[in-house]
Amino acid sequence: MSSDPADNDTGGTITRQRPVYTESQVIMTTVKAVIPFVLTYGLFITFHGTGSPGGGFQGGALIASVVLMMAFAFGIESTREWLSNRLVVGLATLGVAIFAGIALVPMALGANFLEYTAYYPVLGDILGLKEYEFVKYGMEAVEIGGIAFIVAGVLMGLFFALAAGVTPSDDTESAADTDAASNTDTMTGDTAAEEVNT
Amino acid sequence: MSVAAGASAVGLLPIQSVGITPVEASLFVFVLTTAVLTALFRDVLASIVIFAAYSLGLAVIYTFYRAPDVGLTEAAIGAGVTTVFLLLTIAKTTRPASDARFEAINWPAVGICGLFVVVVAVTLPAFPAVGDPASPILTTADVSGYYIANAYDETGAENAVTAVLAAYRGFDTFGEAIVVFAAGVASLLVFGREVFTA
Repeated sequence: MSSDPADNDTGGTITRQRPVYTESQVIMTTVKAVIPFVLTYGLFITFHGTGSPGGGFQGGALIASVVLMMAFAFGIESTREWLSNRLVVGLATLGVAIFAGIALVPMALGANFLEYTAYYPVLGDILGLKEYEFVKYGMEAVEIGGIAFIVAGVLMGLFFALAAGVTPSDDTESAADTDAASNTDTMTGDTAAEEVNT
Repeated sequence: MSVAAGASAVGLLPIQSVGITPVEASLFVFVLTTAVLTALFRDVLASIVIFAAYSLGLAVIYTFYRAPDVGLTEAAIGAGVTTVFLLLTIAKTTRPASDARFEAINWPAVGICGLFVVVVAVTLPAFPAVGDPASPILTTADVSGYYIANAYDETGAENAVTAVLAAYRGFDTFGEAIVVFAAGVASLLVFGREVFTA
């Protein structure tokens, strides 16, 4: 980021030539040391949402920030390949499905939307829980399986989508080329223009 | 200079009535200073770093006023994830070649903002003092009083905020989670289609 002003003066078109990711021993060591604690804190906040400050939203954001830190330290593309896009989008979708499932099952049992106590007649004897405890554990399930999954998945997905193209890899470029070749939509014009520029 | 003058002019009456402590006052000054500097710095990277400091100051203020849930969110989303997203965004842009450290001040905009601050400041004396037992939120507390009195008995959650979010107002939270998911998926579709094909 702190390129000296001489870079800007050379050449007519100002393009950032410096690679954004440079392997830094300091950052990698720091992230390696910090990650276990941040992840533990994120899980703690998620799981203790009913008993202490925090909850699925804050915990999910912290868990996603662990992935963000890893991407900054070890390279965005390698982190993306390690996690796979399918997993990130699937996490958010699974969160919506779990939240909706927990909310809709009471309706099938004849109660209202999200009425946790409706689980009591069905599962009360099996799990050995009191009626009000179903509210508590229902909230926990919604916080952990619903909100935390959605927030973590969406934040990671946004990060990878924003980071796409910051560190160009041969992999993504070839994918874009095949897309441009196969599709006949407006994208082909854009990629053609980019190729002319380069 | 102008920041300190503004803070004392705005906060003269409320600060006296609230009995503000030096810690709170310094936090307010810190947040105001970082907010103004964020707008003034010409270098976008410097602006983003100061904006992260601003979010961190806000998070400390929230925690100081016994809103740790909001403070956690501000720290994780405001200071952490948003900073990363903004950094990624400027990594794709180019720096304008300029030696100026600060942005040229747009005086009409300053006038409009100052007018807005004056309008808001006029309403400040109408607010009850922080923690005032005679404030309307505590004397005529039909809804919030019910939550405080019954949240633990009915839901088993020590954290009444979570009880409201996930049980009493669970339907709203469900809607929020869907909004987050829909916004995330829409963003992924818009700017990540060729690299983020899940």
